Amino acid sequence: MDLEKLRETAAEVVAREDVKYLIGWKNGSYGYRVAPAFIEDAEGAAELIFSPLCISNLSTYLTLVEKLPLPRGQEPDTRKIALMVKGCDSRAVTQLLVEKGIERDGVVVIGCPCPGMIDYDLLAEKYPETEGLSEVKWTDDGFLVIRDGEETNVTRDELLAEKCRLCRYPNPLISDIMLGEPVETWEPAEDKGVEEVDKKDVNGRWAYWEEQFSNCIRCYSCRNVCPLCYCQDCILDRLNPTWVNRAVNFSENTAFNIARAFHLAGRCIECGECERVCPANIPLGRLNRKMAREVRDKYGFEPGLDPEAEPFQASYKPDDPEDFIL
Amino acid sequence: MSANNEPNIVAFLCNWCSYAGADLAGTSRVHYPSNVQVIRVMCTGRVNPLYVMNALQQGADGVLVSGCHPGDCHYMEGNYYARRRLGMLKDLMEFVGVDPRRFHMSWVSASEGHKWKEVVEKTVEDAREAGSFEGFRRRQIDW
Repeated sequence: MDLEKLRETAAEVVAREDVKYLIGWKNGSYGYRVAPAFIEDAEGAAELIFSPLCISNLSTYLTLVEKLPLPRGQEPDTRKIALMVKGCDSRAVTQLLVEKGIERDGVVVIGCPCPGMIDYDLLAEKYPETEGLSEVKWTDDGFLVIRDGEETNVTRDELLAEKCRLCRYPNPLISDIMLGEPVETWEPAEDKGVEEVDKKDVNGRWAYWEEQFSNCIRCYSCRNVCPLCYCQDCILDRLNPTWVNRAVNFSENTAFNIARAFHLAGRCIECGECERVCPANIPLGRLNRKMAREVRDKYGFEPGLDPEAEPFQASYKPDDPEDFIL
Repeated sequence: MSANNEPNIVAFLCNWCSYAGADLAGTSRVHYPSNVQVIRVMCTGRVNPLYVMNALQQGADGVLVSGCHPGDCHYMEGNYYARRRLGMLKDLMEFVGVDPRRFHMSWVSASEGHKWKEVVEKTVEDAREAGSFEGFRRRQIDW
C-alpha cells in the first residue's frame, strides 16, 4: 500500500469536524515493534504505517474506550472514531454492529486490503530484534526484512502468521474509505492445529488441554484484547453468583477457558489476538477456530459477514441439528 | 461418584414437560435409577451452559438437560435456543476432552413417563461407563 496515500487520507479524515480521532498503527520504539496510534491532527497522521507487522486488531479499542460520567451540563462527545481495519478486523466491526456494541454512524472505517501478516515470534526467532527500528515490507512473493540497513528477502511461507494462512477474507468487508486495490484471495491452508487435537481420542484431548490450561495464569489478557469481549459486567469477573472461582488451578482454568470459548462461539471472527497475547502460549485459537468451524459446518453461519444478520446464539432455526438428543 | 461406584447425575428439567414427565413416572410407579438429582427450571432455554460446567465441577459425573419436544415449548421457542446452545456446548466439551457420555439432552413430554425412565437409565449407564470425573472437580479448601 502506498504510505503517502494512507497518510494523506488519514490527515483528511482527522481534519473532518465530525471525527474525534483516528486509530491506526505507527512504529514502536525499537526492533519490529508496532504500536497503536491515536491520531488527532495532520502531524500525527504522518506517523501512520501499514506493514506486515501491523497484526494487532485495533477494533478492540472501539469498545475499550472508557466512558467517564460527564459533569453536569456537559454534552457527550458524539463525534465519530475513525479506524483502520484489515480484513479480519472489519469482520469484528461488522460483528459489533450486529450486536449493537457500536453504531454504524459512530465509526469511519478505513479499509486496508491485507496481503498477509507476519508471525512476530517466528520473525524474532530467525532475525533477532535489534535496538534500532527495523522494517518489514511486502514484496511480490514474500517479505523484505530490513534491519540496520541490511535487507533480507524472505519467502511468504516462512513467516506468514497462522491466522493469515487460514484467512478467507483478506479484504475488508465493510469500509467507508478503501485504501488501495483489493488483494487477491488465497486458498486457505488446512487447519493443522485443530486437526492435531481433533484426531486424538477423548482422553488424549483431555490430557492435551490439561497440559495447556495448567499453564494459564488467568491474566485475562485474552479477554481484554478480544474485540468481541466487551461486556461491562463480565461473567468471569462476577462474584455473586461466582461462576468461575478466581483460584488458579486446573479446574477453574478449564472452566474459564471453556466459558470464554463458548461465549465466542458463533461470534469469533478468528483474528487470533487471544493467541498472540497469551503469555503462557496456550493455543486458544484452536478452541475458537474449532467452534467457528462447527458453527459454519453444522449451522451454516459465519459471524462478521452481514451487519443485518441475527446474532447466532440469540436466534435459532427449526431445523437445527439435533442428532445429539436422546 | 460415591463409594459404591454409583455416578451422580444432575438433571435440569423444564417445568412444563420433563418435570411433569418425571412426575408421571413416579405416580405410575415406574422404577428408574435413583442417582439422578432433579433441578426444576422454568424452561430449557433458561439453562445457562455454565450450569452444566458448574455441575461437573461440583461433583456431578453426568448432566442431563431435558425439555419439551420442539414445537411444544410453553414459551414457544425456548427449547430451540437451548438446542442450539447446548449442542454447541457438547461439541466444545468434546473438543476439550470431556467424555461426550457425560452430557445428554433429551425431549420428554409430560405424558412420556416411560421415556423418562429410558433416558435416565441411558444417562446413568453412560456416566458409569465414563467413570468418575475427579480431574475436573473444584478444589474445596477445608478450613
